[in-house]
Amino acid sequence: MRKTPKLVLLSCCAALLTTASVANAHFGAVIPSDDIVTQKDSKKIEVAVKFLHPLEGHYMEMVKPKRFGVVHDGTSTDLLPTLKAVKGTEPGKAFTSWQTQYQIKRPGDYVFFVEPQPYWEPVEDSYIVHYTKVCVNALGLEEGWDTPVGLETEILAKTRPYGLWTGNVFTGQVLVKGKPAADVEVEVEYLNESPENPSAVHPPSDPFITQVVKTDANGFFTYAMPRAGWWGFAALSTADWTLKQDGQEKPVELGAVMWVHTTDMK
Amino acid sequence: MMASVLRVLALSVIVFVGCLSSAWAHKVNIFAYVEDGKVYTESYFASGQKVMGGKIEVLDANGKELLTGTTDKEGLFSFPLTEKKPLTIVIDAGMGHRNTYVLSQDEME
Repeated sequence: MRKTPKLVLLSCCAALLTTASVANAHFGAVIPSDDIVTQKDSKKIEVAVKFLHPLEGHYMEMVKPKRFGVVHDGTSTDLLPTLKAVKGTEPGKAFTSWQTQYQIKRPGDYVFFVEPQPYWEPVEDSYIVHYTKVCVNALGLEEGWDTPVGLETEILAKTRPYGLWTGNVFTGQVLVKGKPAADVEVEVEYLNESPENPSAVHPPSDPFITQVVKTDANGFFTYAMPRAGWWGFAALSTADWTLKQDGQEKPVELGAVMWVHTTDMK
Repeated sequence: MMASVLRVLALSVIVFVGCLSSAWAHKVNIFAYVEDGKVYTESYFASGQKVMGGKIEVLDANGKELLTGTTDKEGLFSFPLTEKKPLTIVIDAGMGHRNTYVLSQDEME
């Protein structure tokens, strides 16, 4: 008699937990092996492209993106043919992420960007498309980071997005079709698998996983980053177009995602 | 008399400190690459401003000076690559603005 309610309770909890974790924030990610390439560093960097829940470290399956490239000195270069699939596993599932090697040849900022294929998320009854970018600085020339790539939606950095200390704020302006987006939600997550993270972060409750800030009337937002490593900012809007799923038109969540790296003051 | 000397001195200190801080914010950089048997150098500040009329010194692996030159309006200076051996290229833009680029052998292929 006693056992049954406990079991029911447990399975309810399990169901709730599953729902909660599925509902957590998705992030497109473009993570380079080095974000400040100096004369002494290897000029060949690895760039990883993935789709995941950054704090919890859960990956989503990612098909080959629609577009992947780099902008340097005003010129955009297509890198899609260089992307290689990387197979990974976590308990209960296998997933694909992507990776390339890139040879830095000149000084200046390199903005890597990706436009993924729409991802169908049944739990949200919506497609997700995260236009994602990251900036790598090379050889002491700090030029290029403040120029938009020209994506359907993107975060325009107002804080130089590299050489940031832990605790610094990051300010960005959210653009949708090139225009400032007022009052949109920006989800912020720490990448728990950041190479310099000394120990995994365990959020005491769900609201800690994804931090949320909203843009002001001019599309600006600011967030202070409390730990060394990679931070993802995802500004979310709904597309004015839909996509078909099982013959029905479904909404598309657009994300303008940018990744920045912080370093402890020592 | 004394007061005006002091005033000038105080002003000099302010100007000097001002220069120092701008020197720090505008760290000079040099980058070099090889193309078609020539070594091309670019000298610039972090902001993207070019180093005009900066002094270039090219040294071999033993620190022996091979040649010198001056950067143009675009911060550029080039010279022929005579031997595929490592080079240290120094930019001296004055006022302690100085940096080097080591061009390794594998960057000469």
